[in-house]
Amino acid sequence: MTKEVPEEFSRWTKEKWGSSQLPMGGTVPYHTAYGYKTGDWSAFKAIIDKEKCISCMNCYYYCPDSAIIMDDDLKAECDMAFCKGCGICSKHCPADAIEMRRVTR
Amino acid sequence: MSGVRQVVGMTGDEAVAHAVKLVNPDVVAAYPITPQTIIVERYSDFVNNGEVDTSFISVESEHSAMSACVGASLTGARVFTATASAGLALMYEILYVASGMRCPIVLAVANRAFSAPINIHGECTDQLVCRDASWVSLFGESAQEAYDETILSFKIAEHPDVMLPAMFGIEGFIVTHALERVETLSKQQVEDFIPASRMVRDRFCPDENKTFGSLVLQDYYMEIKRQQEEAMQNAYKVTKDAMQEFSEMSGRKMEIIEKYQLEDADYAFVSYGATAGNAKAVVDRLRAKGEKVGALKIRLFRPFPSLDIFQALSGIKAATILDRSATFGSPGTIVQTDIASALYGKENVPSLHGYINGLGGRVLTLPEIEEVYEISKEYNNIGMTSTTDWVGYRK
Repeated sequence: MTKEVPEEFSRWTKEKWGSSQLPMGGTVPYHTAYGYKTGDWSAFKAIIDKEKCISCMNCYYYCPDSAIIMDDDLKAECDMAFCKGCGICSKHCPADAIEMRRVTR
Repeated sequence: MSGVRQVVGMTGDEAVAHAVKLVNPDVVAAYPITPQTIIVERYSDFVNNGEVDTSFISVESEHSAMSACVGASLTGARVFTATASAGLALMYEILYVASGMRCPIVLAVANRAFSAPINIHGECTDQLVCRDASWVSLFGESAQEAYDETILSFKIAEHPDVMLPAMFGIEGFIVTHALERVETLSKQQVEDFIPASRMVRDRFCPDENKTFGSLVLQDYYMEIKRQQEEAMQNAYKVTKDAMQEFSEMSGRKMEIIEKYQLEDADYAFVSYGATAGNAKAVVDRLRAKGEKVGALKIRLFRPFPSLDIFQALSGIKAATILDRSATFGSPGTIVQTDIASALYGKENVPSLHGYINGLGGRVLTLPEIEEVYEISKEYNNIGMTSTTDWVGYRK
């Protein structure tokens, strides 16, 4: 996965390329979805209480952004770089281990 | 060997399936709908019998069919699908995605009337309303033209200067289910005509760090859309050249517009698809009565060949446009308004008389077309430059 912005893309944005220069069909030579840190969109964050987690992995499968990661002890963790705060994990958690907390900026 | 011609009896749908078999695309994703069903049925036979290398994806709707085609096309695959009427309407959203993401998908449309009332028969409205979707759009008159345009469409769509999807239409039942004489091509001829694999600029692949179908807002959207317009303009010349090459390869003359007895004509019929055959038959009947009349058949609808049509109709007094499509509250029939735009402000052009006819498979007989012709002449005589009527229905 590329971490830095490719030369082509940084020139494209800096120089405000037009129709004759832009790649065909708006294909962005940058990242796959894994490269876009979209977690800062959220109004809520999933706060997981690992003590309560029963490792059922419901949250892992339900998360639409693949933002839940299971740690070495098979306890759920939330990757804040991708969590958009939808709360689906919290609704599905049978152990009531996930609290949705409002983000204050 | 282009000198050896094999002649086979095939319906329009079978002709398309057999032509696709020669092209042997990587992926076909389709959903059956009358009158297109035979195309995908025959093709799934070929897949089952191992006669082609195609991955056949059975999907649950046309929306999914076109979505699967887009995904497959982005990986660099050569892709074909087919639909009609309601199926094309359900694809409509994804038609724009296919062209916007520059997927050179080929789509066969068995032109059929829209519901309601529900009707399964021939009418071209379904394809004509896709005119703004940035798809190259062709019409065929016969099973032979269906066969030829199938192969031609891949050539146009995948050309590096175009890279847009292409659709071609044949009228439901009138062409799709009628058994006709078809001159076939050899596998070798098709392989020589179409490159073995298509041009791919960006390949959708986990190893490449690329984003497809990203959100593009006010600052870049127009630039991306403008690229499509330029590609569409390129498609005009690419189609012309491809038709020329196809004519030489097959020995069958293929042109963007077909002119029939127009050189010395005072009056003309303009039509597309199966109606063009009737128009030519009427021209023969009227010529026998001493009328100076010819016919113009439009094969390429998008990009619209404005200049060719202007040149073909230049010097004609009145043009009778037979349009097998419905439009309501419009200033003219769908094709008439395009022709009017192409001719506007030019000198020595005909008066345009559009006739909405043949909806839902209704037959407009040759005597009825002759009557329509007389009406057009009358309108022209009293100085009306543009009229639109419905014909062939009970009042």
